[in-house]
Amino acid sequence: MKTDKKEIAALLLAELKVYINSGFDHRFSHFDHLGNEDLYLSLHDKADIKAVASLFEKHTGRVITITPYVVDNGFEIAYHFDVRGVVLTVTLLTEDGTVDSITPNLKSADWAEREMQDLFNIKLIGHPNPDRLILDEKMAKGIFKEYMTLSDAMTGAATNTLWEQINEAKGEQNG
Amino acid sequence: MGETYKVPVGPIHIALEEPVYFKVTVHGETVEHVDILSGFVHRGMEALVLRRNFLQNMIITERTCSLCSNNHPFTYIMAVEKIAGVKIPPRAEYLRVIADEVKRAASHLFNVSMLAHLVGFHSLMTQTMETREVLQDVKESIWGNRMDLGANTIGGVKYDLDKEQIRYLIKQLNSIKKPIRELAAIYRDNRIVRARTEGVGVLSKEDTLRLGVVGPTARGSGVNNDIRLIYPYAAYDKLDWDVVLEDGCDVRARALVRLREVFQAINLVEQCLKALPDGPVKTKGFPRIPKGEGVARTEAPRGELFFYVKSDGSSKPERMKWRVPTYLNWEALKVMMPGNKIADISVIFNSIDPCISCTER
Repeated sequence: MKTDKKEIAALLLAELKVYINSGFDHRFSHFDHLGNEDLYLSLHDKADIKAVASLFEKHTGRVITITPYVVDNGFEIAYHFDVRGVVLTVTLLTEDGTVDSITPNLKSADWAEREMQDLFNIKLIGHPNPDRLILDEKMAKGIFKEYMTLSDAMTGAATNTLWEQINEAKGEQNG
Repeated sequence: MGETYKVPVGPIHIALEEPVYFKVTVHGETVEHVDILSGFVHRGMEALVLRRNFLQNMIITERTCSLCSNNHPFTYIMAVEKIAGVKIPPRAEYLRVIADEVKRAASHLFNVSMLAHLVGFHSLMTQTMETREVLQDVKESIWGNRMDLGANTIGGVKYDLDKEQIRYLIKQLNSIKKPIRELAAIYRDNRIVRARTEGVGVLSKEDTLRLGVVGPTARGSGVNNDIRLIYPYAAYDKLDWDVVLEDGCDVRARALVRLREVFQAINLVEQCLKALPDGPVKTKGFPRIPKGEGVARTEAPRGELFFYVKSDGSSKPERMKWRVPTYLNWEALKVMMPGNKIADISVIFNSIDPCISCTER
């Protein structure tokens, strides 16, 4: 079992180098004493996620889930795949908030992609069933992106005003 | 009879414990198509956990749902331990399995008892629940709660077993073996149960793989995806056990997988109690969680549960995402239901052991 996963991981990395046009970074691997192998990769070009999905489809792999999160210049999206027992986390950056759907290749991505569309307003290109999944039609899309807690608002974190005043006062003190 | 009708089931419906919306298209009595809408009780837990520290999130994740409540903090904790490079003591590895398998046995018995209820076999339902009650007692006696065990912590477990508790656990597990054997025979052979479950809600092996279906739902279609085997954790690699598989691909096969896994769970607990190593149950102190990311997964009663945790080195996670077993199994209902009768909808629905509470993190 231990050797198997190491071999599968090495094979997948070699194949990804052929499949992915614009290259990727192999950020790190986590290998434990029980023989489990987790790989963490970053794509240089978001369009290559289709190629990744097509390779994993060939291996009868599946999407475990997808984790989008907000970064300064857009969104990072981490796709988690299971390919023959190896867990691969493949991350991409989308600056314009659009990404190709991989559901046509891997049906297991269907709900995870629609959830990301509902909660982060990430636009899916080519999803076969892009209907709302979680949010009611009446609610604005991207609620996770917009959400601010009451406690944040009450501590003045909703705007820059408080910090501007503090910095101004500091400046006066410092002459 | 020749016309096609749309029948809404839910979001609030007498047959549903929790809200979900099925748009069922029927031709006469036969289901033609199903569409599913969820999100009626979405709780935004993934946003909430970013406002709490790593310790507080052990408590929050345990509240995701009740039946697989042990697996949520368990899996979350393993992801955090990977980031922090924590290796737990051997005794804790076995204690983690014991808590999890007791929960699995109780969860599976609950599901099959609901099956008995839905096919109108009420005495079978009450007897199954009565037997399950022994496990509820065990949970309350050892962990202090009937559902949320609070068994795991970062670096090990929060409980230990002394000799008296081990004797009690063995005695209680022995006491339910005969009743479960008798109940399993009824689920397997009774004419009424068979008539309502055999050939109902068929999911082929190919569709199971295509949809990424997990847990006993997949194993009832002959797909071996038991995370305890394919991605071992805790002490599972040190125990003697085989994955339970059935090839009926129907409601009956899924129920038989769960019933066989109840026996397996009891056996795994017994093996753990025999092999329980001495020593501490957790690492000393509480580790600092550095910047990094980690994934972990376990085999919850309903199937693979996955956690992704990303840390920026502060006391709170930067991002957390978890994928519950039911989440992938919903789409399978669209394959299982067409061709069956309206009366079978609830039986098929129950056969994926659905958890809306989990789905609506």
